[in-house]
Amino acid sequence: MLLIGKIALGMVGATVAGAGLLCSEGFVDVNVVQHRDSPPHIHVIAPAMLAPIAIRLVPDKKLARASQQIQPWLPTIRAALDGLRNSPDLTIVEVSNSEEYVQVAKIGGEIVVDVANRDDTVHVSVPLRALDSSVSALASVSPGSDEAASF
Amino acid sequence: MHSRRYVVTAATALVCALFLTARTAPAAPADRFLHVQVSQADKDGGDVNVNLPLEVAEKILPTINRGPLHEGKVTLENDQLQGIDMPAIISALRDSPDNKIVTVRQKDENVDVSKSDGNIVVHVHEAGKEGNNVNVTVPISVVNALFSTEQKNQIDVAAALDALDKAGDTFLVTVENTSEHVRVWIDSHSQPQ
Repeated sequence: MLLIGKIALGMVGATVAGAGLLCSEGFVDVNVVQHRDSPPHIHVIAPAMLAPIAIRLVPDKKLARASQQIQPWLPTIRAALDGLRNSPDLTIVEVSNSEEYVQVAKIGGEIVVDVANRDDTVHVSVPLRALDSSVSALASVSPGSDEAASF
Repeated sequence: MHSRRYVVTAATALVCALFLTARTAPAAPADRFLHVQVSQADKDGGDVNVNLPLEVAEKILPTINRGPLHEGKVTLENDQLQGIDMPAIISALRDSPDNKIVTVRQKDENVDVSKSDGNIVVHVHEAGKEGNNVNVTVPISVVNALFSTEQKNQIDVAAALDALDKAGDTFLVTVENTSEHVRVWIDSHSQPQ
C-alpha cells in the first residue's frame, strides 16, 4: 500500500513538474471571431513552449527555406526582442481607417496583435520568450549555421 | 528610558539616511520614445501611429547590414557631400549666436534655415492649396553626431540616435497639408500625448 502511495505521489509530482515546465514560457492565445454568416469562433490557448517543439517536429525540408530567409535577420530580431523585453508596455504600431483597425502592442512580456474589420476580429498574444525560442528553433533547422549554434 | 531614546535616535537616523539617499541617488534614465504619427483628413485614408523605444532602435540599427547601411552607418554614394566639410560647418554653427542662416523666397516656395536654442530649424512653405508646410528641428548635437565618422562619405545614424536619446523632448519633423498631417518627435512618454 505504501509503495502504491509512493508511486502515485511520484506520478503526481512528475505531472505537476511537467505541467509547470510546459507552462514556463507562458501561453499563446489566438482568438478569431467571424462576424458574418453563422460565425465559427476559434479560440486556442496553448502553452508557448509547444511552438519551438512543434517547429522541431516539422521535417527540415519544409522549413529549410524559411530558416534560410530568417538567418540574416536573426541578430536584428534578437536585438528587437531584447530591447522590447526591457521596455515598458506600449502600443508599437496602430493603424486605423474606416474599415480596419490594427494594433501591435507589447503588454506584460507579450506581443499582442489585434485586428478588427467588418468580417473578423483577431486577437493573438505571444510571449516574447516564446518568440525568441521559436526563432531560435527555426534558425537551427539549417545545418551548419553559426547563428543557430550560438543560441 | 534609555532604550526608548536609542530607538528614537535610530529611527531618526534611518529617516535621515533614507531622505538623503532619495535626494542623492542618481535617477534611473527615463526611457525615450520615437513617435511617428500620420493623420489623414480623409476618413478612409486612415491614421498611423508608431511608438518605438529609442533603446530598441539603438539596439536594432547596428545589426542591420543591408545596402548602404552597415553597423549603424550609411555610406553616401557618388560623393553626395561634394567635398563639403560638414564637421567644420557644424562647429561654426554651434559657436554662432541664434540667427537666420538661409532665407530663400521663391514664387512657389519659401525656405528658412535658422539656428535657435541649440537646434537647426528648417521651415519650408509651399504655396498653393496643396502645398506642404514642413518644419524640421534637429538638435545640433544630433547633426554633429551624424557627421562624426572619420570617413567623409559616411553618416553615423547610430551615433545620431544616441545623441537624440540624450537630447530633450523635441519635435523633429512636422509636415502639414490639406490632406495629411505627419509628426515625428521624441519624448519620454510611451504613448502619444
